[in-house]
Amino acid sequence: MKNLTEFNKGDTIKIRCISCGQNFRRRLSELGLFDGAEIEVIKNDKWGPIIVKIFESKIALGRGEAQKIYGNKI
Amino acid sequence: METKSEYTIGLTGNPNVGKSTLFNTLTGARQHVGNWPGKTVEKKEGELIFKEKKIRIVDLPGAYSLTAYTEEETVTSDFILNEHPDVIIQVIDAQNLARNLYMTIQLIELGAPLIIALNMVRKSQIKIASINAKILSQLLDIPVIVIDAREKKSTDNLLGMFLVKKRKINDSMLKLAYGTEVDEELNQIKKFISSKEDLSRKELNWISLKLLEGDYRTEQMIIKKPYYFELKQAVETNKNHLKKIYNQDINTIMANIRYGFIKGLQKELVVEDSSSKTIDLTEKIDNIVMNRFLGIPLFLIIILFIFQATFKLSKPMMDWIKNCFGSLGGYLTSSLMNLGVSKWTISLIVDGIIGGVGGVLVFVPIIGILFLFIVLLEDSGYMARVAYIMDKLMHKIGLHGKAFIPLILGFGCNVPGIMATRTLETKKDRLLTILINPFMSCGARLPVYVLFTGAFFSAYQGWIIFSLYILGITIAILLGLIFKKFLIKELSSPFVIELPPYHIPSLNGILIHIWERVWLFISRAGTLILAFSIIVWVLASFPLGVEYGSRASIAGLIGQKISYVFKPLGFGNWQSSVALMFGFFAKEVIVGTFGTLYGVADANTTNNSLITSLGKDFTPLSAYSFMVFVLLYIPCMAVLAVVKRETNSWKWPLFMIFYTSIVAWLVAFIVFQGGRLIGFI
Repeated sequence: MKNLTEFNKGDTIKIRCISCGQNFRRRLSELGLFDGAEIEVIKNDKWGPIIVKIFESKIALGRGEAQKIYGNKI
Repeated sequence: METKSEYTIGLTGNPNVGKSTLFNTLTGARQHVGNWPGKTVEKKEGELIFKEKKIRIVDLPGAYSLTAYTEEETVTSDFILNEHPDVIIQVIDAQNLARNLYMTIQLIELGAPLIIALNMVRKSQIKIASINAKILSQLLDIPVIVIDAREKKSTDNLLGMFLVKKRKINDSMLKLAYGTEVDEELNQIKKFISSKEDLSRKELNWISLKLLEGDYRTEQMIIKKPYYFELKQAVETNKNHLKKIYNQDINTIMANIRYGFIKGLQKELVVEDSSSKTIDLTEKIDNIVMNRFLGIPLFLIIILFIFQATFKLSKPMMDWIKNCFGSLGGYLTSSLMNLGVSKWTISLIVDGIIGGVGGVLVFVPIIGILFLFIVLLEDSGYMARVAYIMDKLMHKIGLHGKAFIPLILGFGCNVPGIMATRTLETKKDRLLTILINPFMSCGARLPVYVLFTGAFFSAYQGWIIFSLYILGITIAILLGLIFKKFLIKELSSPFVIELPPYHIPSLNGILIHIWERVWLFISRAGTLILAFSIIVWVLASFPLGVEYGSRASIAGLIGQKISYVFKPLGFGNWQSSVALMFGFFAKEVIVGTFGTLYGVADANTTNNSLITSLGKDFTPLSAYSFMVFVLLYIPCMAVLAVVKRETNSWKWPLFMIFYTSIVAWLVAFIVFQGGRLIGFI
């Protein structure tokens, strides 16, 4: 299990654990990013936010936030 | 006589699904923007007549979900539950059904009278979309229609469907199964509430569900009840119980259940052909504009281009308006003289009123064109990328990329800029963004730059003005750092932003948006500015008998009293002091005040003679120092009023007066004295 910033562009990830505040967690789940969801990394430069594809939309996530989201590569 | 609307329709949906486009197509220019009572959320309403029925349309704020965690988010459910709209139209992005349907499910849970409008259907997919609409309609037991929000024809279809079905639009008969465990806990809550309160089944379902989810609005509903404490404890026990079973918190459980249901729905739908040109194009553009090396330079080039184009395009229009007011003044002077009106009255009308208002209206083209570009950036989808690009930098001053958008809006006007901080999630983020917003040079300060650069730097007008904007941004960043260090130590809220596919904005939407902004400016010019033009005129003409705008006039006296403060900054002349003093009320009047004080509002000589007069009192260096001061000093009354409203305390606007004055004086001092040392004059 790695955090989101450790994955590369093109990786498909099954989310396993989101360790952040309740409010942020439910914001994410409204967007479709919840424990058990499958997402794809679209862009991950070594700095700045990372971009993931959740369903059909692209969501930019702050780097700090992405570090709190863990998952496994499928 | 004004008749009441027969029907009320609420528009809802996720952000970036074309909801505003639908609203604009439906209502056209008949819109009214206000606030939701008691809240700081913008409320947009419009009216239309369709088949002789008057229909009120309410544009509900874009959201991803109905569960409310803050007061602001209760707007949609409040509206549905309290105002009993005849129908709620949920606009859905047909290309992103899964996420959009999440909200649909919540709307069904709420028992909203729902119609779904499938929007953003690609031309090649219309057939599939109509089949899917039919299937969805059957599965969810609600009307579903395919629309193109930009086309009148399809909004007519939508309204037609509403009128035909209005009696049949009731709750969907859909029953969601949450699984035995969740259902069990829900039943316990239901049992408790129904033992205390007499509610309909629908209400009971909704309240229990929302209590379990920790919904703000429902919490507020029961907080005053005598059984609140007992119920709250029971709900907590339920939540903990579920947490033990699932090893997940309640929001994740509910998300899993709802998305699971959506997954089931999707299996029934016809799969779209996934090869698509628009996505490829978005990908290509993103590869360039979000490139780690190219992103920021490109953005700066775009901003520079916007400012250059704004000046080039607006100049002919400004000249035209200027000439019109000039001839109007001349015509009035001569005809009033013929009528035997006193010189005094003529001066009031021509110098005070026409001069003042004309001096403001002249800048309508510049504001209109600047907003044209800002709206283009926003509606095309680029603004979200800007937030992404700037996140890293913004992080350094303790803000995230999203806070950049209110700051950019500040370039148009700090008032909407400060209001746009509402999109930020934490109070600390909002406060910091509000405090540095006034350093984003607003459109009303632009006239001062245009006048002064025209007089002293005509060859490099665009560059000099660009340098002022950059200076404002730099100061904002520095102060942001200082505030963060000493005032607001907490970390910022999480950065999550959707990057919608690029699309060409609709002309209609752009025009409506620009008109809103320009009208805001004009209506202020019409009232505030007119009033102040007259006050300036009075101060410049009294005591009776003094030469207009001379040192002996009231304005001259006040100006002389305070001008020594500005002497070290290079503009110790009393006219500048007076202009700055009036600039506190509204930045728009600074130029007008100069006009009045130098007595150059009369016909044919408008700007050139003002420039000549300025040349006597300013050098290029002191002119630049003056512009720097105007850029940084106390924002206008309207901004302070908005800050008061948004922060809900007088502390912050007063603090704003304090630090902006100090910063402006210091920076102008450094510019002027430093400039002299290097040898500028």
